[in-house]
Amino acid sequence: MTKQLIDQIEGEASIRFDMKENMVDFATIAFPHFRGMEAILEGKPALDALVVTPRVCGICGHAHLMASVRAMESAYADANEPVQLTAKADTIREVTLVLEMIQNHFKWIYLVIMPELAKLRPEKIALTPLKGAYAASLASKALASFAGQWPHSSYMLPGGVSCDPTHLERIKAQSLVDELISFFEKECAGTALDDFLAFDSCHDFNALESDIGEIERALTAAGMHKKGFAYDRFMVLGEHRFTNPAKVMQTRLLQADEKHVKTHSAYSPSEKTFAKNACYKDEFYECGPLSRAMASNVELIKSMHRRFKDSAYSRVMARIFETARLLDHARDMLGSLALNEDSLIPPKPITGISGCGVGVVEAPRGPLIHRVEIEEGIIKSYEIVTPTQWNIGSSVKENPTPAQLAMMGNVTMEEALFIFRTFDVCSVCTTH
Amino acid sequence: MHCASDRDRPTLIWLQGVTCNGNTHSFLNLPYLPQLLAKYDLLYHPLLPASSTLSEVVQCKRPCDVLVFEGAYDPLMKRHEVLLSELLDYYGMRAGHIIGVGSCASFGGMFKASAPQRNSGLIFDESESSGPLLALKNKVINLSGCPVHPEWLGYTLSMIADNKEIKVDTLHRPLELYSHLVHHGCTRNEYFEWKVDAKAFGLKEGCLFYLQGCRAPMTHASCNRILWNDVSSKTRSGTPCFGCTEPDFPRNDLFHTKTNMSIPEDVPLGVPKRSYLTITGIAKAFHIERLEGKLIDDKTAD
Repeated sequence: MTKQLIDQIEGEASIRFDMKENMVDFATIAFPHFRGMEAILEGKPALDALVVTPRVCGICGHAHLMASVRAMESAYADANEPVQLTAKADTIREVTLVLEMIQNHFKWIYLVIMPELAKLRPEKIALTPLKGAYAASLASKALASFAGQWPHSSYMLPGGVSCDPTHLERIKAQSLVDELISFFEKECAGTALDDFLAFDSCHDFNALESDIGEIERALTAAGMHKKGFAYDRFMVLGEHRFTNPAKVMQTRLLQADEKHVKTHSAYSPSEKTFAKNACYKDEFYECGPLSRAMASNVELIKSMHRRFKDSAYSRVMARIFETARLLDHARDMLGSLALNEDSLIPPKPITGISGCGVGVVEAPRGPLIHRVEIEEGIIKSYEIVTPTQWNIGSSVKENPTPAQLAMMGNVTMEEALFIFRTFDVCSVCTTH
Repeated sequence: MHCASDRDRPTLIWLQGVTCNGNTHSFLNLPYLPQLLAKYDLLYHPLLPASSTLSEVVQCKRPCDVLVFEGAYDPLMKRHEVLLSELLDYYGMRAGHIIGVGSCASFGGMFKASAPQRNSGLIFDESESSGPLLALKNKVINLSGCPVHPEWLGYTLSMIADNKEIKVDTLHRPLELYSHLVHHGCTRNEYFEWKVDAKAFGLKEGCLFYLQGCRAPMTHASCNRILWNDVSSKTRSGTPCFGCTEPDFPRNDLFHTKTNMSIPEDVPLGVPKRSYLTITGIAKAFHIERLEGKLIDDKTAD
């Protein structure tokens, strides 16, 4: 058994590998740190969750904010006091969520995937981490035009958003997104965004003399289109304009409902872990950009999936392609954002609300679920199920999690360490 | 002349205690990040590529001129299987400067609540002097905030690289960053002056101090002077200041102002309560038409 300590994954983890003839036979994963976010929330006034839950995670706090506000609005509905949301508030929430995903993806491409790929293919990859940081900061700036700041904004409240933007803010955000799109075209894709989005086959990447072209070729050269397969079943649960909630079995789309999601303690026989495994009707599903693309019938990704299934290659390229799709989506939403509506329709004070609520959003890594029980405005219980609990977790050999399965079989330890990162691991979310 | 070699540049190690990584991500938004990083020999950072791995750093053999610590201190916590106390002892002793980034490292912050009996900041447990580096407190600079503003860390690291002295307050926060209150530069100041409260969330009109829990008049930070992400701040986006740079963050009931006879229980910093009551009474007697309606009616302007 070989133990590998992993860092630079929003915290740390360890993987214990059982090797057979230099290939990974099985691997268990442990996350050693725990903060007890759910316990911190119990007994607090409900709205304080809008300040506490973004602090679950430094990179996807906005997704937590949105899951939290949706959970509260659902509790209002449970208490027969349904909350109304204007199209304006809904669009502003959506666009800021999308911008957070974009910053996440840029950081992952430049700070995680390129350096990790370089370990497998040192002659191919030029490392430019600050490009990722710069692109991410443009997305965060656009986000902050509405949310006030990033990270850790708390600008969504039951009934809407706290900001009351004018076209000045909208134009500022739009100019930042336009700048980011130009950066993406020149520095990442090496082609116009619209042309990139029109790709319908993996062959289209071949012509790219750019970072994305290099990544695609290095993935193929490293054989990642033939490795890193998980269950080939996918889960999307958040309701958004850029994807559909669905359970995807290979290519069949089926309905999915959050109520079938449960978590179990993770399996880690030789060291303490605070991770949990998220399951749908007791089965593991992969979540994240590849799942979202499969659920919303993105032509290129479906074609990629026909050739390379849910390989490490597909997982990486789906996240890169989602970055482009979300840039386009953010541009459209900002362009059409109408401001002639209220930002927030005040609901009844939450001190008068008793009920249970569920908030589900698609976070950068997949479905994020917040479940809350409120009694006269005070949090009785709070449960958070994060995407990394779906993808990573740790289970027994007979029933591995998606990440464990993807690392098993015909891969070396070095390859397995790369495959692990293709899931975009977030340690702080896993244990929270 | 060659440019400064690695040997001439101060070495920097960034370690983490109990954290969400928010300060790490906030730092990446610094507009002059490449220029700042060029002044340092970055040995370890939780996200940025650096010359050492965490496994090497925890062996306690690396040099360290500047130690940056993010997160609350938990005496039982380990990084790569080495106790934080060992890491802080070793690198704290050797570092010329120690920077606590964020309110967790400064005072315990959000994650003091993870283990309230154990967790603290580096030299403060909330506002009490306590913590693992108390003996080295003269080297410690606290950059409280949840998270730290990138420009505050940029300022501190630039000052250190340039060998300039940083004057600090009693909580070891740089005076240039924490002498102002969040209130300074708030776009709602006119409403504050004339005691006009925001009627609800989601409005650009009205002050958030009277009903919505805003702590800006008693919170030391430059959020409205050095804007977040170069573009905005909490109060500009209609969110109350939660006082996240102060030792008592997070307080309870953050979106609600506790009042006595409809006057906020906590009055602006340094103002005698009785005087505040008097001036409030007088100001409220005015009826200022421009402050009573919408500044712009978006419904007709769109």
